[in-house]
Amino acid sequence: MFLHYLDLSWRSFKRTPLVSFLMVLAIAIGIGVTMTSLSVYHMMSADPIPEKSSDLYSVQLQTMDEGRTWWTVDNMPLQLTYQDAVNLNQAKAGGKRVTMVRTGFSVYLDSDKVKPFIGQARLTTPDFFDMFNLSFIYGGVWSEQQEADAAPVVVINKELNDKLFAGENPVGKMVYLDDASYEVIGVIDDWNITTKYYDLNNGAFNKTEQLFLPFSLMKARQLENWGNTNGWKHEKTNTFNDKLNSEMVWLQFWVELKTPAEKQAYQDFLMAYMQEQQKLGRFNREKLTATLRDVNEWMQYNNVVSEDNEILVGLSFMFLAVCLANILGLLLAKFLRRAPEVGVRRALGASKRQIFFQHIVEVAMLGFLGGILGIILAQVGLLGVRQSYSYYQSLATMDLTMLLSAPVIAISTCIIAGLYPAWLVCKTNPAIYLKSQ
Amino acid sequence: MLEIKPIFHALCRSKVGAILLLIQIAITTAIVSNAAFIIQDRISYLSQETGYPEQDIFVFNVMMFGKDVSPSQQYELDEAMLRQIPGVVDAAYSSNTPLSGSGSSSDFSLKPAPEESKSARTSYMFIDEHGINTYGVKLIGGRNYTEDEVIVTDNYDELSKVTVVTKTLLDELFPDGNGLGQTVYFGDIPMKIIGVIDLMKGPWLKDSRPDNVALLPFIKPGTNARFVVRTEPGQRQSVMNRVEEAMLKNYNKRVISRIRGLDDDKESYMAEDTLMMRMLIVLITILVLVTALGIFGLTLFNISKRTKQIGTRRALGARKSAIISYFLVENAMICVVGLVIGVIAAVYLGQLLMQHFSIAQLDISYVLATALAVFVMSLLAVLAPAKRAANISPSIATRTI
Repeated sequence: MFLHYLDLSWRSFKRTPLVSFLMVLAIAIGIGVTMTSLSVYHMMSADPIPEKSSDLYSVQLQTMDEGRTWWTVDNMPLQLTYQDAVNLNQAKAGGKRVTMVRTGFSVYLDSDKVKPFIGQARLTTPDFFDMFNLSFIYGGVWSEQQEADAAPVVVINKELNDKLFAGENPVGKMVYLDDASYEVIGVIDDWNITTKYYDLNNGAFNKTEQLFLPFSLMKARQLENWGNTNGWKHEKTNTFNDKLNSEMVWLQFWVELKTPAEKQAYQDFLMAYMQEQQKLGRFNREKLTATLRDVNEWMQYNNVVSEDNEILVGLSFMFLAVCLANILGLLLAKFLRRAPEVGVRRALGASKRQIFFQHIVEVAMLGFLGGILGIILAQVGLLGVRQSYSYYQSLATMDLTMLLSAPVIAISTCIIAGLYPAWLVCKTNPAIYLKSQ
Repeated sequence: MLEIKPIFHALCRSKVGAILLLIQIAITTAIVSNAAFIIQDRISYLSQETGYPEQDIFVFNVMMFGKDVSPSQQYELDEAMLRQIPGVVDAAYSSNTPLSGSGSSSDFSLKPAPEESKSARTSYMFIDEHGINTYGVKLIGGRNYTEDEVIVTDNYDELSKVTVVTKTLLDELFPDGNGLGQTVYFGDIPMKIIGVIDLMKGPWLKDSRPDNVALLPFIKPGTNARFVVRTEPGQRQSVMNRVEEAMLKNYNKRVISRIRGLDDDKESYMAEDTLMMRMLIVLITILVLVTALGIFGLTLFNISKRTKQIGTRRALGARKSAIISYFLVENAMICVVGLVIGVIAAVYLGQLLMQHFSIAQLDISYVLATALAVFVMSLLAVLAPAKRAANISPSIATRTI
């Protein structure tokens, strides 16, 4: 029966091509506009590590003196001081943990094959790779001992390995970073995340780093922070050591906590840590605050999805509503004109339900066609978005979820729009039309 | 003469179509007026004056890995070399790039920290005596610093004793207008204000104080540096093409990266706003077209439904103009109701946006202008089908289906 209705729908489409085409076009435009803004929204807000996003927590400590304010909603600084990051990393509390900072080097080899270039780097502790689910193509991570010794070792990403070593196994080879040589000990596979959730403070949609080195190298070699440094009071930070001992915040710290009990225990540990520090003259506050936010909470807290995008999504759904009102009008016109035909069918024994169902199938078919055309329009829209700025390259795309939801949204909204016209048609009283025939 | 009453009664007999049209017009008015307001806001943000001849300025980064030269001497040589390239007006070392979204800021106060006093949020740049000329900003009072006042050092123990600030910063700290020559404090370091710049935007155009900028004559040459170059109009591209080679020829153990125009930096800082503006323009254009199409379609449908009636009216002596005006009046009636609802919805939507997002209060003139435009558009959309209706032959009245 369904196939028969589909056939009837197609015939009806062919009989009134202009009106039908207008309807499909209206749905397609509505879907195209909505899917364009919704796709960007979806990619911006997508969970970058769904398998463990609720186990990874970003740590914030309220380091400021009483009465000072920050620009976040809860007045908490977004990053940690060096002393806190190091202390928390060394403490025997919590699961895997990582402290890190962004930096960069001029990268070159001992030969003239590669022209020196700037490489983006991350100084981090060994748990980093396991915590953020990175897999190695060659070699592996540095040991705790190498971390403690500030060993000159480096893990590079696949892209850099292709560039420097033509994709061959580089483990054991040397690479120059600034004026020092480092031994390559591992290569990680491509790391495709749309949102750089582990360091939102320094460009949420920037590319992930190419080089990863032991965090302890920062102090040992006085490496510079290429990310944000913020302070809340005037401090003398003339030397590198001053900066390490200061109250400036510039490091990211994450901890992996698998159960609510572990989370609670870590929360208690942080509180105890702050009380202990208070005795040393820091954390001059009446109420101590430490916050743990998991990946999705962290993204929301940092407003990863821009306001503009939220407004656009809202407006485009209103736009879809206008398109639907339009379709509803056209459907009414189309269906009611067919009343005489329906009258005859009713007289020949078709039930109201059958008539209703037939028309809904027809509407759904229009929705499907509109949805498909809408996906094409959305691709054009997303192409336009990608042209506008480099970081939209990975954001302005449709993943499978979005590709599937386009026709689903199109068909379901069309069915909603078609309910009233279909109901009106199936109410048709056969007697009137039989008379006038 | 306008036969409003009979038209109204006729309308009441086919309510659904009219209500749908009314909804479309209302939503269209609400969206278009708010979107137009946001677009206008973005346009004025995107086209604001920054104080720089952006088209003639470019910047680049230098990262030195060789250790056999002293950075401070090397940068002196580099600056001298850059200034001699044909087409270059001036060049300078600069601690950060304006309009780029990355830089330094602090409070500048009337009393040394930790004393509490009046203070102003300020972005600051370390630059030498060529800075003001290189950035092409206008000094409207006082003087530039001299070469002797520029401190070249490798630590922060000593900071500049003088500073040149923008007029907005001066006016904020010294509203009485006697700021020039006074002392301000950067933390606990006193600095005398020796010059005033008319307009010079800082690194963050979205900051609460984008115009407060202080230039400090201080250079800390390290392995990382940034240079800014101003060229003669039209010469920028050719100088940009040659700069990497020239810098490496001067000393080659370093990487020259991110050679870009000042306008490029500004463009990527503003990319999101540009995108928002474009998407909204596309949205309202399509929206107006779809609504016009809706009105067009509905009128056509009405005409086909009433072909017989129109024929009868014509047969009874109605003029063509009467038929046209019938449809125009009918549409105008729906439209006016839709617009009234639309205006209310627009104001409500504007308030909603203002509450949840950082968007200013919707200006009512945008709503009224949109309403007028939608009204005109709807009349135009009706005109063609109405003319077609007027051409229906009176003889149709005498036929059956």
